[in-house]
Amino acid sequence: MFIIWEGKVDSSNPFIPHLATIQSVTDLTSDVKLFRIELNDPAVQENFDYKPGQFAFVSAFGIGESPFCITSVAHLSEGLEFAIRRVGTVTNSLHELEEGAIVGVRGPYGNNFPLKDYEGKNIFIIGGGIGMAPLRPVINFILGHRDSYGDLLVINGARTPQDLVFAPEFDTWSQSPNAKLELTVDRGDENWTGRVDLVPNVVKEIKPSPENTIAITCGPPIMIRFTLAALKELGFAPRQIVTTLEGNMKCGLGKCARCNVGDKYICKDGPVFNFEQISSLFEEA
Amino acid sequence: MEKQIRDKAKELLSSQAVDCVIGYGRATDGVTSRPLFVYEPEKADELIFDKTCTHNLTKYLLNRKGKKTGIVVKGCDSRAINVLLNEEQIKREEVSIIGVVCEGIVEVSWNQVSEILQTRCRYCHQHAPLVYDFLAGEPIKELLPTGEEHPAVTEIEAKSLEEREAFWSEHFDRCCRCYACRQVCPGCYCTECFVDSLDPLWVGIRIAPAENQIWHSIRAFHLAGRCAGCNECERVCPMNIPLRLLNRKLANTVEELFNFQAGLNAEEMQPLGTFIKEENVGIG
Amino acid sequence: MTQIISKSDLITWLNKLAESHVLIGPVNDNAGVTLFRKVSQAEEIAFDFTNTTLSPKEWFFPPTETLFTVERKDGQVELVPAEDVEAKVIFGMRPCDARGIALLDKPFLNEPADTLYQQHRDKTALIGLSCREVLPECFCTSMGTAPDDSSNMDILLTEVADGYIIQVVTEKGAALLAECPEGLLKQSEVTPPALSSAATVPIEGITEIMAENFDNVYWERLADRCLHCNLCAYVCPTCYCFDVRDYNDKGKVERVRTWESCQSSGFTRIAGGYDRRAGKAPHLRQRFYHKLFYFPAEFGSVACVGCGRCVKACPVNVDIREVIMDVHNLGGQSGQQ
Repeated sequence: MFIIWEGKVDSSNPFIPHLATIQSVTDLTSDVKLFRIELNDPAVQENFDYKPGQFAFVSAFGIGESPFCITSVAHLSEGLEFAIRRVGTVTNSLHELEEGAIVGVRGPYGNNFPLKDYEGKNIFIIGGGIGMAPLRPVINFILGHRDSYGDLLVINGARTPQDLVFAPEFDTWSQSPNAKLELTVDRGDENWTGRVDLVPNVVKEIKPSPENTIAITCGPPIMIRFTLAALKELGFAPRQIVTTLEGNMKCGLGKCARCNVGDKYICKDGPVFNFEQISSLFEEA
Repeated sequence: MEKQIRDKAKELLSSQAVDCVIGYGRATDGVTSRPLFVYEPEKADELIFDKTCTHNLTKYLLNRKGKKTGIVVKGCDSRAINVLLNEEQIKREEVSIIGVVCEGIVEVSWNQVSEILQTRCRYCHQHAPLVYDFLAGEPIKELLPTGEEHPAVTEIEAKSLEEREAFWSEHFDRCCRCYACRQVCPGCYCTECFVDSLDPLWVGIRIAPAENQIWHSIRAFHLAGRCAGCNECERVCPMNIPLRLLNRKLANTVEELFNFQAGLNAEEMQPLGTFIKEENVGIG
Repeated sequence: MTQIISKSDLITWLNKLAESHVLIGPVNDNAGVTLFRKVSQAEEIAFDFTNTTLSPKEWFFPPTETLFTVERKDGQVELVPAEDVEAKVIFGMRPCDARGIALLDKPFLNEPADTLYQQHRDKTALIGLSCREVLPECFCTSMGTAPDDSSNMDILLTEVADGYIIQVVTEKGAALLAECPEGLLKQSEVTPPALSSAATVPIEGITEIMAENFDNVYWERLADRCLHCNLCAYVCPTCYCFDVRDYNDKGKVERVRTWESCQSSGFTRIAGGYDRRAGKAPHLRQRFYHKLFYFPAEFGSVACVGCGRCVKACPVNVDIREVIMDVHNLGGQSGQQ
């Protein structure tokens, strides 16, 4: 009698994504598309619960997978939405796909914006370019629970007016009660009558009070750096300023050891951190 | 000779002609050597030179662009200096070359120093550097090569196609793609190596025989007419892949076709980096 | 009284095991490289090896491994999980390498468990071999193991004059020994001589000192010499960073995981080019902080077993023993650039 021991063979390999179908693709800017994706198994889709700030890996089979923040709000939209900028091999490949194409989705991963803790507070959103993608669900969540939060101020910057990612939603955002939307661009065009300024300058100009306020920011590293300085100047304490980090991650499970910032993993301990946490990290976030 | 190197390094650092001298120091095994970066004149006494100083230090110059650097260079390494000057990767005025006269380096590995001269040293023609600012060691009469030139290359050439394929497959199959060969090579300085490129994807992600073969073949071709023959790639390979044979074979071919050897001077353009219509060598 | 088996009987037993398992052992290559390889007969095993070039981690965390394949049929897509792994017996596991596997367990089996790794672990038995010789680069006794450490093994063999003393450690090991043909095991009263590794490394208190020295210019200086190849990570029994990408061979698509190292230039670069850990020194610092600070913080132990492979293989003598000693000498005062 030969000894063959049985391993715990199961199909729950955490790297195997759920199959999903692209329901719609919308051009948001020249290089950003909004993908609405539904998981093929209705039961899995039904149980795919996620919170603003969480991310998922989307697979373009044959090329690979990359992590993207989920830009929709659970139960407010059908399926999952991802705003994806064409910037590398996986995103190039996803941009080639059309409605009906099969992709893979695994997640949700990471922590989330602690919106429960922010109830009763004013929310100040500062986003630049594709950095609006993780902030959009925060805005829409707050607008969906309008009475639970104070004032909502959104500063959204982009390179040009055509690069303002969520333009179709601007009316909804700005016309909501106690909500204000400030747009700014680096370079205007003949139709642009709004601000032409850098995001941090707009923050300094508008001077929102730090009192009972949480500032949530995401955008290019250079924008974050100067926005952070501007917010500090206005009296925001580091723990009142929240951001979400990007990393070159391969698993989302704290295993591939690629997204650590010091002794924290972006995928497991983040991606949402406040600047008090970030300043205690060993490495530059 | 060590004293000459140390004194020169001290002088270069004290006069602030350079802010770092790259030379050789003793390794932690106590018997072999390792690259040593000296920033303070008083540390220059840690510099050594002996028959274990096998490293080609010129690779490090690529990390020090725009900074004044002193560097200890053997004859073989000086060919790499010429290649890098020719390819405009380093500026002559930024580099102070402490040339050393070398009578050959022995086979060394961690904690082991043999008495056997390295194969490349047995047919060395450059016991003194081709380019230097200061020469350490007695200018000796050129030593005659004591070994038969590239015997192993001839041996492989004599094999049949199938035998050669088997020979290389056996070696490439072992490759773990640590890229030590690339990282140590002064000729490998592409901003993005073809093997790392995702778009276009030249080599699949697998660490497996087919991909390994592509990796080594293309890398060898990229070095044809540019490889200075320092043999660092073969030395650092944890899997003992005889990379020298590949590079030597291509160097021989370039020499036969174009009468060109890499690194003999900094002026002459390498043949595969130029196109001369008249230079019809019967390829294609 | 202990059980002992002669070398020829050991070969007989291993060949018996090879009938129902994939047998893996150290094999000498023609090029002077020793690797853990599948053998069809125990006679192919290099019984007199010291330490292998690559650690046996490659049998649990292979350089390249398929996670699943993508099958496309009639417009439908199906994801097929990787095939079940084979039942393996690895002979010749050194105590340091076995500890390496025990350390790999920590990230890979941490919830949610990496099911492929788990399979490799569950379906592999380790027949260890105590070290007879301590190499100049070895420092296992400083790293929580020893040349005759039986923990992390299923069976440990220790070579003595007339054979191998057998220590059964786990039930899996007992099951393997039950496969041993009758009459091969003898009783013996021989006690093998004790060995301890040559070098001792002051590992005590290292994490506390590491915490103080993140911005020390020491790491810049160390990185001067480093070539930033992946060699140290690939020979290391405890390095486990990986890459995941798709392998597309004329439409046959597999998602594969491969070894990767924190030294590679694109390790932290994200699409678009931004790299928050740009530069050579932060890359090398990551290696030592992961081993000596982050891993201990997360899993309670330094990620080094003292096998000495990186010490021996590094082309430019970046020696972790020296780094540990240097860090101790840096003390609590962070150096200024």
